[in-house]
Amino acid sequence: MEDVAKGLGLLLEFENIILILSGVLIGVLVGALPGLSSPMAIALLIPFTISLDPVAAISMMAALYCAGTFGGSITAILINAPGAPPAVATALDGYPMAKNGEPGRALGLAAVSSVFGGVFSLIIFIFAAPLLAQLALEFGPAEYFGLAVFALSMLASMSGKSSLRNLISGLVGVLIGTIGIHLTTGVERFTFGSPDLEEGIHFVPVLIGLFAVSELFKQSEKLNAVVERIQAKALKLPSLLELKKLKYTILRSSGIGTFIGILPAEGSTVAAIIGYNEARRWSKNKDQFGKGSPEGIVGPEAANNAAAGGAMVPTLALGIPGSGSTALILAALIMHGFRPGPYLISETPEFVYAIFGAMLIANLGFLFIGLIGAKFFSLVAFIPKKLLWPAVFIFSMIGSYSFASSMFDVWVMLAAGLVGYFMDRNGFSAAPLVMGLILGKLVEESFSQSMIIHDNNFFALLESPVVLLFFVLTFLSLSSPFWVKFFTKKAVSK
Amino acid sequence: MSTKKNAPSNLGALLNKKDTIIALLMIALIGFLWFETTKFEKVPDLFSNNIPPEMFPQILLIIILGMILIIPFEHIFLKKNGKNIDAGRDKPIEKSTLGTMVILSTIVASSQILGAAITIIAISIALPLYWGEKRLKVLIPYIIGFPLFVIILFNIVLGVHFEPGLLELIKN
Repeated sequence: MEDVAKGLGLLLEFENIILILSGVLIGVLVGALPGLSSPMAIALLIPFTISLDPVAAISMMAALYCAGTFGGSITAILINAPGAPPAVATALDGYPMAKNGEPGRALGLAAVSSVFGGVFSLIIFIFAAPLLAQLALEFGPAEYFGLAVFALSMLASMSGKSSLRNLISGLVGVLIGTIGIHLTTGVERFTFGSPDLEEGIHFVPVLIGLFAVSELFKQSEKLNAVVERIQAKALKLPSLLELKKLKYTILRSSGIGTFIGILPAEGSTVAAIIGYNEARRWSKNKDQFGKGSPEGIVGPEAANNAAAGGAMVPTLALGIPGSGSTALILAALIMHGFRPGPYLISETPEFVYAIFGAMLIANLGFLFIGLIGAKFFSLVAFIPKKLLWPAVFIFSMIGSYSFASSMFDVWVMLAAGLVGYFMDRNGFSAAPLVMGLILGKLVEESFSQSMIIHDNNFFALLESPVVLLFFVLTFLSLSSPFWVKFFTKKAVSK
Repeated sequence: MSTKKNAPSNLGALLNKKDTIIALLMIALIGFLWFETTKFEKVPDLFSNNIPPEMFPQILLIIILGMILIIPFEHIFLKKNGKNIDAGRDKPIEKSTLGTMVILSTIVASSQILGAAITIIAISIALPLYWGEKRLKVLIPYIIGFPLFVIILFNIVLGVHFEPGLLELIKN
């Protein structure tokens, strides 16, 4: 309890509150702008937060992450263009409700269910993270290796067209992580004689390139796309009676979202889609789905915001990112000198509780901002792309350069942008690559240590029941498309 | 006879042309990287604890290679699940995208000569104009205002070092 109070005390400094609220504002803005996303905004923000106090920096990013998830629903509802991927499912019923003349109601339902989902997951976070961390304190290198392999296998089911390509992206990320001087032996690997590569490729320019610059190239294909907007004067909060009717849907989706968020690599988009499907499956008014059903709005919204909180659990407790955005927060933690994982919670619990507090403020903050600024945020989607994207590129350049005052990093950013564009075109997602890059060091270190401990006998790793469990989970995760098909076929034939 | 005639077209149906090219390129890259790993400095076993520096990258390269070999045939499984891997890449890359890539690469390449301030101004002018923004009422305030805002915020307020480049030459 003392740690909770300490953590919240850290937040209550004026500067921190301002930064958290700025994070909320930026989050809602980027969420509302189609093409811009919270991972991109976090990637761009990382280099500029080096000089900030770690609590302020990470809290700002965590707030941006929460608010960005909600921001995406504004444009999903008003212009049928989800500002962020997790809002895709919200558009299915949000836009029809807005078209039916109730845009304020649709926005209100989205905001309230988002807040509920977010707060629900934070409550789980505050209890689950320390428990998970305590469990992880017992882990040795072999168990960590098993966990990292399991996390990598989960990349397969991240959003994207193909599980196989997601896995390849993730492994390429791990491979990129091997560039530079090998810590154990001091041998240079893949440096090609360049001194710039001796310290390896830093993740900040890679993240900026993959998330911001590649998106710029994508957007340059559709500069003249015209969007039609439905006018929303204000956000209309749902009545208590309406909330009572929707309580089970919101609660169920919050639970689903939190659970999916906790799973390594499973983000808000998957949670929102499952939240929507489950809302429909349990609904008494299935025929209303797609025509403006309130359950079709609160289902995905509660789930995607709950996933945001849930994803912070493995990120902070295990050092394994729960989603693309939390992978970036993890990168920022490492940059600020923290070692994400069980020791973060056992040694600096007040820091973790400060992040929890920031996310709580963010959840209430975006409801407030949504209430007073829904009309404004629906307008930001109309900022001309021809002016917005040059600005994004300038921020990307400065962000990559300022990180180490090196032009080499700007080239890395541009190269990552080009590679990211061609990857996306051919069905390879950028997010698994980023997660692989961040997990890379952990995978190699834990692998090397466990092999040394077990005298280079790989099968000796399986003597640990935890490692065995992670390998079984890895097998189940990788083979899931086959057994899901098998059981579905069996169920259909019955 | 007919079987022989059909053989190439059957193979053609099995392999996705674009994915085959991608797989071949990646295999070539893996081959090159594998060759690089053989050139890593040799370390005595005692020093490396029997885990030589090339071991981990080589394991990764083998696993990636195994997965890449499936890529040309993956479209068959994806099709069964209702996914079309060629959706989105069946059209050639837009000229505007290629032009954007060239412009940005050129500006980045010349940024050390131009200096940070002129690079920012160059991007603010070149991209909107190339993308067809013709409204001077919007363009002029943007070209003046945005770079000024960026320079004040990052260089003056946040203290990010901006290379003077050409500006220093002009000053001298």
